[in-house]
Amino acid sequence: MENTSQVPVTVLTGFLGAGKTTLLNRILTEQHGRKYAVIVNEFGEQGIDNDLVVDADEEVFEMNNGCICCTVRGDLIRILSGLMKRADKLDAIIVETTGLADPAPVAQTFFVDQDVADRTKLDAIVTVADAVHLSSQLVDHHEAEEQIAFADVILLNKVELVEDNDIVKVNDRIRKINPFAKIIKTTRCDAPLDEIVGLNAFSLDRVLDIEPDFLESDHDHEHDDDVTSLSFVSDTPLDMDKFQDWFGNLLRTKGQDILRSKGILNFKGEEERYVFQGVHMLMDASPMGPWPKGKDRSSRVVFIGRDLDNMNLKEGFENCKSA
Amino acid sequence: MNADLEKLQESNKTELERRGSIFNIGAPATEAVTISDQIAVGFGDGTVRFFQSGSDPKTVKAHKGVVLSMTNYEDHVLTGGDDGRFLKISSDGNIEEIFNFGSKWVDCVASHKDTKVCSSGKTVYIWTKNKDKPQTLEHQSTVAGLAFDNKGKRLAVSRYGGVTVWKLNNNKWTASNFTWKGSHGTVTFSPDTKYIVTAMQENQIHGWRINDKADLAMRGYPSKIKSFTWVGDTPYLVTSGSSDAVCWPFDGKEGPMGRKPIVVANGGKELATFVKALNGEKAVFTGFTDGSVLLAEIDESKKPIMIRSSTGSEVSTIAISSDNSQILIGDMKGSILLSSLWADN
Repeated sequence: MENTSQVPVTVLTGFLGAGKTTLLNRILTEQHGRKYAVIVNEFGEQGIDNDLVVDADEEVFEMNNGCICCTVRGDLIRILSGLMKRADKLDAIIVETTGLADPAPVAQTFFVDQDVADRTKLDAIVTVADAVHLSSQLVDHHEAEEQIAFADVILLNKVELVEDNDIVKVNDRIRKINPFAKIIKTTRCDAPLDEIVGLNAFSLDRVLDIEPDFLESDHDHEHDDDVTSLSFVSDTPLDMDKFQDWFGNLLRTKGQDILRSKGILNFKGEEERYVFQGVHMLMDASPMGPWPKGKDRSSRVVFIGRDLDNMNLKEGFENCKSA
Repeated sequence: MNADLEKLQESNKTELERRGSIFNIGAPATEAVTISDQIAVGFGDGTVRFFQSGSDPKTVKAHKGVVLSMTNYEDHVLTGGDDGRFLKISSDGNIEEIFNFGSKWVDCVASHKDTKVCSSGKTVYIWTKNKDKPQTLEHQSTVAGLAFDNKGKRLAVSRYGGVTVWKLNNNKWTASNFTWKGSHGTVTFSPDTKYIVTAMQENQIHGWRINDKADLAMRGYPSKIKSFTWVGDTPYLVTSGSSDAVCWPFDGKEGPMGRKPIVVANGGKELATFVKALNGEKAVFTGFTDGSVLLAEIDESKKPIMIRSSTGSEVSTIAISSDNSQILIGDMKGSILLSSLWADN
């Protein structure tokens, strides 16, 4: 449900030492003229410029909703519902996660809890990555890979400490895991705040802009549990029933390995674009207005996850084309 | 506005709206409690306002942010805020800061006689008479609900994974755990103190019979249960969360086990968001997502009475004055109706 009174929420992830605190300090000290609430773990700083700092314990709770991999941030449900009782309206909410956090529970909170979904919307997952250490962190830590995989925006930070050809290498490594995130190269997280907060990144428009060749050509990898991505495009309209059957079943059976799914769909007989986005087994789908004039009505889906080659994704998607 | 339309709107008003007063505060009403002849209401702008029939409310600037929790304490109210302060406030505007938790919220408060209790994070703090330092009770996750039994000997603390019931013996608190998977919020003891019940983060409530820890799972709601109230001598636990007020019978040895609830006060396509017993009667006020409020007897054959018409904003609190003469209804937009319940008042 699109609701203009929903407050956008930015989720900030990133490995220890990547520069998350630098970014938080910037958000809290810059004269941005907006009212933000920043939900942190043991930050110890006070906001200035009328921002609000909320101390939270990162509490990951299992839901009793029959969804086997469904965990949520219980503290976030409580804090967001408290923030929504404020008399003054917040322009945005920023949620910091700890260095080793799996981004799934925080993202899933926005799908599972109705009160949260009614009053806030997940705007973007922003991951701060350390250009010096990311390559080794990706080898050693599962969580680093997931934080890259989940991101809508990646700040590739500390680029001033890395040779140009090494930046290209780490950039390619990120692209292999997540081809649709926007990568911003920064020194001390010096990206403009309006490229980080209040983006509407989850509105999925950017899925259309990904180069399909890049996505489909390159998914060789070293380990079976590496996170990779796959994307498919169809110029033939899709059959809505067939797509729902296939996609629903896919998320139910393979949702644990599919970290993110996104798409824009052209259904036969429908004037409007349909968009969907998923986090593991949960997904949201809704019509998103008419197709832009002069653009092709092509459907496009993107998957980021593990073991994608064994899910018959291409065949499944092809079978959804209308006769 | 044309005159006919105005007349029509006037005629659509309920009897209580016509004879009552409406105040537009402009911040969500978060909590309301009765102290002596006044009703104190906490708001999302940090104020506590004391309402009394026949006069304008007295405004106390209490918290910097939201009044998250409130309870009565002797002839004062205790409040917890998102500014980390736990306050004791008198109706003449005197504020005493009991404790300041800094950037941690004070999520829940409770009281029994001269004992003041609040929670912040995973810890419950208990101040007893003549002691400056609070006793502390630790829990494995953030505390989401507090309730004393009617004697003040037991304190139920809800959290993730169930409820801890603390029992006071010789000035020492000992814990007993009631376990049920999931996240538990608001908690209440039944009036006979034989049961504890919580509202869960999922669309259900959960209860335990205290003596044998038998589970009562009450499901089937279309939304989260934000409010419940004990009604009548049976008693019934009446809950929000559905298009009706759902009334679970807690009489007999088994309580609601294997029995169906009674449903009253149908709100059509609106969902109930707040319920409040009418003291001494087998009747309940039910507030809905559109701001309307119905009064219904716990009897499916009786027709409910419209108390307040739609305001377009969900009912977030209802309180009744201690002499049962006044009702106060507040919503998320900060509109307050204060009215006498009976025509001859």
